[in-house]
Amino acid sequence: MSRGAVHIRGWGAVSTLGWSAAESARNLISGLVHEAAICSSAHLIHRNFKAFEIDFDGNPMEKSFAMIDAAVSEAIERAQLSQEEIAESCLLVGTTGGLFIRNEFEFTESARQNPDKELPPISCRNRGPGEVTQMIANKFGISGMTFTLSMACVSSSHALVAAAGLLQQKKIRRAIVVGFEPLLNMTLHGFASLLLYDSDRCRPFCNMRSGMQIGEGAACIILDEKAAKTTAENQYTLAGGYLFNDNSSLTSAGTDGEMVKTVVQEALRRADIAPESIVAVKAHGTGTRDNDLSEGRGLAKVFGAKMPPVVSLKGAVGHGLGAAGAVETALWLSCLEEGEMPRTFGFSEIDPEIGFAPSVENRSAPAGAYLFTFFGFGGTCTSYVINKE
Amino acid sequence: MTLHKNHFSMTVIAASFLGPSLTPNEDMPWREDDLPQDCDELVQKTLGQPMRRAGRFIKMVCSGAAACLQKVPAELLAGKKTGIFLATGLGNGDEILPFITQVFLHDGGFPRPNQFANSVSNAAAFFLARQCGIKGVILTLSDEELSFESALWLAESYLAAGDIDLALVGGCDVYTPTVDEYRDRMNAHADNARALPIGEGSSWLLLGAPEMDGPGEIFAVEIGSDAVRPDAYIQSAAFAEQLSGLLETAAGPLARRAQNRLLLPGFRVRDAREAAGGPGLLALHDYLPHCGIHPTAAAFGLARALVQAPSSVLFHFNSSATGKPALVAAATK
Repeated sequence: MSRGAVHIRGWGAVSTLGWSAAESARNLISGLVHEAAICSSAHLIHRNFKAFEIDFDGNPMEKSFAMIDAAVSEAIERAQLSQEEIAESCLLVGTTGGLFIRNEFEFTESARQNPDKELPPISCRNRGPGEVTQMIANKFGISGMTFTLSMACVSSSHALVAAAGLLQQKKIRRAIVVGFEPLLNMTLHGFASLLLYDSDRCRPFCNMRSGMQIGEGAACIILDEKAAKTTAENQYTLAGGYLFNDNSSLTSAGTDGEMVKTVVQEALRRADIAPESIVAVKAHGTGTRDNDLSEGRGLAKVFGAKMPPVVSLKGAVGHGLGAAGAVETALWLSCLEEGEMPRTFGFSEIDPEIGFAPSVENRSAPAGAYLFTFFGFGGTCTSYVINKE
Repeated sequence: MTLHKNHFSMTVIAASFLGPSLTPNEDMPWREDDLPQDCDELVQKTLGQPMRRAGRFIKMVCSGAAACLQKVPAELLAGKKTGIFLATGLGNGDEILPFITQVFLHDGGFPRPNQFANSVSNAAAFFLARQCGIKGVILTLSDEELSFESALWLAESYLAAGDIDLALVGGCDVYTPTVDEYRDRMNAHADNARALPIGEGSSWLLLGAPEMDGPGEIFAVEIGSDAVRPDAYIQSAAFAEQLSGLLETAAGPLARRAQNRLLLPGFRVRDAREAAGGPGLLALHDYLPHCGIHPTAAAFGLARALVQAPSSVLFHFNSSATGKPALVAAATK
């Protein structure tokens, strides 16, 4: 629904690479990236799943609140929002699990504290995905409209495009868009049950890839109707975006790349950008066989022989699920501020069915248009263009 | 108080309500003790075939929406870009709980794959989209007891932008797994919610542009920025002013012609009787006993009134647990 550019005023993120988007970006560019590892959090019951876990001294609930707090605070600080501006902002949160972690934490704590008792089945006490949205609104004094988009892996990328649409229609003046997803037994075991989890490492677009690895994260992007105060050195705009949901398969975007092509082309059209003007693609690149094949073929259909550098961040920070859109966008923006595009981690061999290699070395990040793509369960797709000006 | 206003006119092309009795568009007796009832018969009746692998949430979403779409001729939908806006406060807990129980019971074993796929938050909207042949804007929104109001607000923006021609907007929540837990998850207790049995439902509106024909219209959604005490607020002069302001500035043709003015109190209003005779001069349209307390009961209340209350202006009022007020204004032929 994008009709004209929207200003990106601030952003912040917490990832496995750091407790701010700026720190994460510097580590990403410097190559200070660790592969996914066995997790230590007390609420995770299966020790064989490698994931991208954020270091924290405290329980998982405290950690969740700290992650959200750090990401939103960093974004607000960068945007230099006054309390009045915060109050009138619209809050859109993209999350699948919300505060479901409370159920897992309380259950495992109960088991730990009562080792000799037979426990009742796990109970469900969280109040749905919207609970975390109200928590954020209350904590930061946001009293505008609130929307919680619970759309699996495109939750926060859909939220960004929806927010941009509301700004372009002048329904709202400012949007604080948050993505949040902690590590959960539910998702680790769920993706494993679908045989989509790589027990070794995440290898986006690589011929050796065999699955995804989850990474927890929180991020916040602040969109504004006009260019306003910010500590960012450059100006950034969300030039246009498109969200689309197919109904062919619950778990696959189809491997012929047609849907990816359609969605990317529509995002480019709405951003009024020709494919040859795209500086680079921040791809979804999960490392699963089907997703990367679908995305790779789709991008090849859009760009042909003039493929710009394609980068997946999943080998460095994991798949943030509902938070992926916000986290990867925030990290990318901080990389642009540093003047560099990061490389793809985990790639070693071209998949002949995809036919191209993602970018495996850092490159300078000039002004221009950057394309973002995200895909998820339920045939969901988001694509948008961010201009560095 | 700052009001986040969305004044517009959306034609209600069709409305359908489904509550815990599982009888679409009928008021039938039901009991909290009998929840949850088997909905396979409902699925067969509304969809014409079973949904063997789906849980109750997915079945209720699809059945409720089908009951709404069956009210319009197929040709009205053909060639139209329809968006789906599924509002749910608690989501598909009936799919998540068995899955996560199995994960913990087996200490990390492998639960059934389709159990996980169905537990993903937007799975129900996906199945509904497939059932209806809809692609494009399909959103699952979850904002506790104001989920349906948020969905209406957002759906209008997509209609106004021309991204969609029609919006299928519904609210669905299903009972899981015990009364106490369900009530706790809704944060619905004696001091912040009406004393009524808990319920469930899947109620839907098919909405279109103002020039389209239909039995009703939605003409405003207003969500306040400041907390209010809902019982006191609906008896206040400020509320009466809000309503009269809406009628003066936002009312569409149906609202201007309507003979009745009805107040539909949401479940955060513990006692609305005083408001009925208060400064707003509204008749009480008490829908909650027919559907019980659930986060998206507003969808049931509005859909039921749109079906059952001719020539009426409908004001649905509820608030969040923290007191954030939400008003939906509609009217019927």
